[in-house]
Amino acid sequence: MTAPAIPALRTGPGYWWHSFVMMTRWEIVGLRLLLPITVFVQVLTGAGFVLGVGLFFGQVPPRAALFLSTGVIVITLATVGLVLGPQLIAAQKAEQTYDFIWSLPVPRSTAAAAWIVTNTIIAVPGMVMALVVANWRYDIDLRVSTLIIPGALLTLYTATMLGYAIAHTIKQPMLINLITQVTIFALTGFSPVNFPKEQLPGWLAALNEFLPLLHMANVMRAGLTDGIVSGLGRSYVVLGIWAVVATMVTAFVLRRRA
Amino acid sequence: MTDGSFRASDVTKSYDDGKTFANDRLTLHVEPGEVYGLLGPNGAGKTTLVKQAIGLLKPDSGTISLGPHDLIDDPDAARQLCSYLPQAQMPINSFKAHEAIKITGMIRGGSAAAVATRRDELIDALDIGEWRDTLGTKLSGGVKRLVGFAMVAVWPGRLVILDEPTNDVDPLRRRLLWDQVRRLGDEGVAVFLVTHNVLEAEKSVDRLAIIDEGRIFAEGTPSSLKLADRGRLRLQLMLVPRSATPELPAFVEDHTRVRNNLIAVIPEAEAAHGIGWAQELMGSGIAEEYALGATTLEDVYVRLTGDIAAKEPASS
Repeated sequence: MTAPAIPALRTGPGYWWHSFVMMTRWEIVGLRLLLPITVFVQVLTGAGFVLGVGLFFGQVPPRAALFLSTGVIVITLATVGLVLGPQLIAAQKAEQTYDFIWSLPVPRSTAAAAWIVTNTIIAVPGMVMALVVANWRYDIDLRVSTLIIPGALLTLYTATMLGYAIAHTIKQPMLINLITQVTIFALTGFSPVNFPKEQLPGWLAALNEFLPLLHMANVMRAGLTDGIVSGLGRSYVVLGIWAVVATMVTAFVLRRRA
Repeated sequence: MTDGSFRASDVTKSYDDGKTFANDRLTLHVEPGEVYGLLGPNGAGKTTLVKQAIGLLKPDSGTISLGPHDLIDDPDAARQLCSYLPQAQMPINSFKAHEAIKITGMIRGGSAAAVATRRDELIDALDIGEWRDTLGTKLSGGVKRLVGFAMVAVWPGRLVILDEPTNDVDPLRRRLLWDQVRRLGDEGVAVFLVTHNVLEAEKSVDRLAIIDEGRIFAEGTPSSLKLADRGRLRLQLMLVPRSATPELPAFVEDHTRVRNNLIAVIPEAEAAHGIGWAQELMGSGIAEEYALGATTLEDVYVRLTGDIAAKEPASS
């Protein structure tokens, strides 16, 4: 019997696009059972955080309310990328389905891109809801501009790739989950996302200048407010560096093959 | 080499800084259209070899290729050309069976129409039509396994790697699955089958290798491997639970004991004596039943991978 010849390998933009579309379908169908509840939890978290802080302090000054409301949506976006993504990959590792998924014949970048699209679907309703609730509760002075689009995309991208890098680098699923828990704790407590950085001790504020969260808050806030963000260019640069580093680490880890 | 065959040459993979060898200079090849079995006990190094072929692990040394493609240097080619059914279940809890098969086929590069046609053929051939629209989370382990096989076979590439494909599958559908494995071969795909189910493999593979501790102990067709056992019979005795192994007559050339199961290898010429001995053991209440038959690949396998009886606790 003459065997069929080895087919030419698929390459090029058409192959990338087809793989991206199919992986997006794979992710969305794969989350079918979880997606509604996940979106719902995101909405609740965002709205709940906005309202909860108000209950805690009773009277929230307008500037603090504006910081809080715009900070909450950064937290909802970052949580999806930095916590949900790694936990799903940890589950793939624990259930030993990781090998099959990462043996699929698609460019690795399409799997990441599909995941970013999925994250956007998960995160956007919560983000919008948090803003609506904040506007209703505190009557804040929101000035939404087109800057929100690059800001939200870069924030989601960076958070997702950081989550990816953590989840792919660390072998133990338990450890991945532990690190994401610590991340979310640091995110809400020790990063100037919900409050101005001047309220942190000097050294912690200085440290945050090099970490991504402060800058995620800046680029998002710049698209939602007017006149309270300074150093926006620097924030884009720092965040861009984090995005590139996280992407390179992920690409390296996926290529390394222990 | 551009003949389309899958070749592993001197593949070595160690863990713990070179103290443990999962693969120790493994060399084998699978031709297009051939079903090749890799048999060995747990921890023999089978899955490690597979993961290196598919680009999930990298060997310390050696080469793995498919036709002109070096699968170690080019893991993207490995993933496009090889389709892989892992030993673990597929991640399809929120997929309907037919969706999982179709999406995987399209990810593998098939057009929607061609994949749908082939999917429907596979669903019929594996007799899983009644679960076509069932979500993965509601499928039994065996049906999920069959859906997993269909996901891999629907658009198979040039090498299909099956790691314990029949796990949890009922006996009737196992036969259907093996028919489809054969069909992949008939279509010119090289099939690399990893299993410890020796008797099933014997019927389904063209050639096989027996591997243990990362090394190949024997390789050939099932018949050629049994050649050394030609002229011998296996006398299988079910002993009374927890009884001591009875004294063996001189004509018993070899024996293994796994729990109550005593298998004695005897020359064909001693068949009558063997039956007499078995009846004697039954008469004296040591054995409950016996069967005399040709030696199987399992006997070869046990001989080569070590006496399992030796690893069992004494007098168990």
